[in-house]
Amino acid sequence: MHGDILWRFALARTRSNEAAEEIVQETVLAALQAFDAFAGGSSERTWLLGIAANKIADHFRRVRRAKFPGARAISPDATCVCDTCRGMFTAKGMWACVARKWPDLTLSATEKLEQAEALRACIDALPPGQSEAVWLRDILGIPASEVCKAMSLTDTNLWSRMHRARVALRSCLETKFGLRKEKGK
Amino acid sequence: MIRFVRDMARVLTMPCREHAALFSRQLDVPLSRGEAFGLRLHIVYCGGCRRFRSHLRHLQSLGRALAEQAESQPGLPADVRERIHARVARETKKN
Repeated sequence: MHGDILWRFALARTRSNEAAEEIVQETVLAALQAFDAFAGGSSERTWLLGIAANKIADHFRRVRRAKFPGARAISPDATCVCDTCRGMFTAKGMWACVARKWPDLTLSATEKLEQAEALRACIDALPPGQSEAVWLRDILGIPASEVCKAMSLTDTNLWSRMHRARVALRSCLETKFGLRKEKGK
Repeated sequence: MIRFVRDMARVLTMPCREHAALFSRQLDVPLSRGEAFGLRLHIVYCGGCRRFRSHLRHLQSLGRALAEQAESQPGLPADVRERIHARVARETKKN
């Protein structure tokens, strides 16, 4: 019943049929083993998506370790959103500068799709765990309380994880839109 | 009323770093009326926070486009479904 949702989620994240199949299999097996522990606090679908999210995060950790040993994912601390600032905020917590306006979303469907693809690439570059939380919350639109249960996070953990992720996505998109240069270039 | 004023005053005296975190939190949970009103007042005069909020809205809109794209993809292929059933049957037998 939930196979289609799990498949689309795993495929959208990994973009590989083989990896998606492995993740769905692992998710189903893990769910069968843990079914007695399922407390019913969230819907069955969210519970399964939470297990899949953890399997996907594990998958990306393995891939990153194998492909880029020592590579670091994007983080809000490493980037800022304008050419002149060293960080988003001054020492007193005020904006270091006002970021530029982004390209209009209402221009055309093609442009929106291009921007959505840019967002997907930025989500892929987030640390595993953060990207899964973003998919569950901001892409699939699962309520925050259910995401917390599915990923075993407290409310505060989820908020800070989502905020860090959104700030990192914002600066990643700035680079993709050509609104600022990457550091060191 | 006291809580409303207290929350609004707290938000209005925060640094923008905290406003940004609050804008993000507002996407996940509803803020108190005082906090929400404080944020609305703040962006009247703060260009940085106004731009940050517009970027968050843009991100949300792109997220919806990604969701539509993912939903338009075909579901679990029949051969994969069969392989999963077979593996589950094997694993269940083992245990």
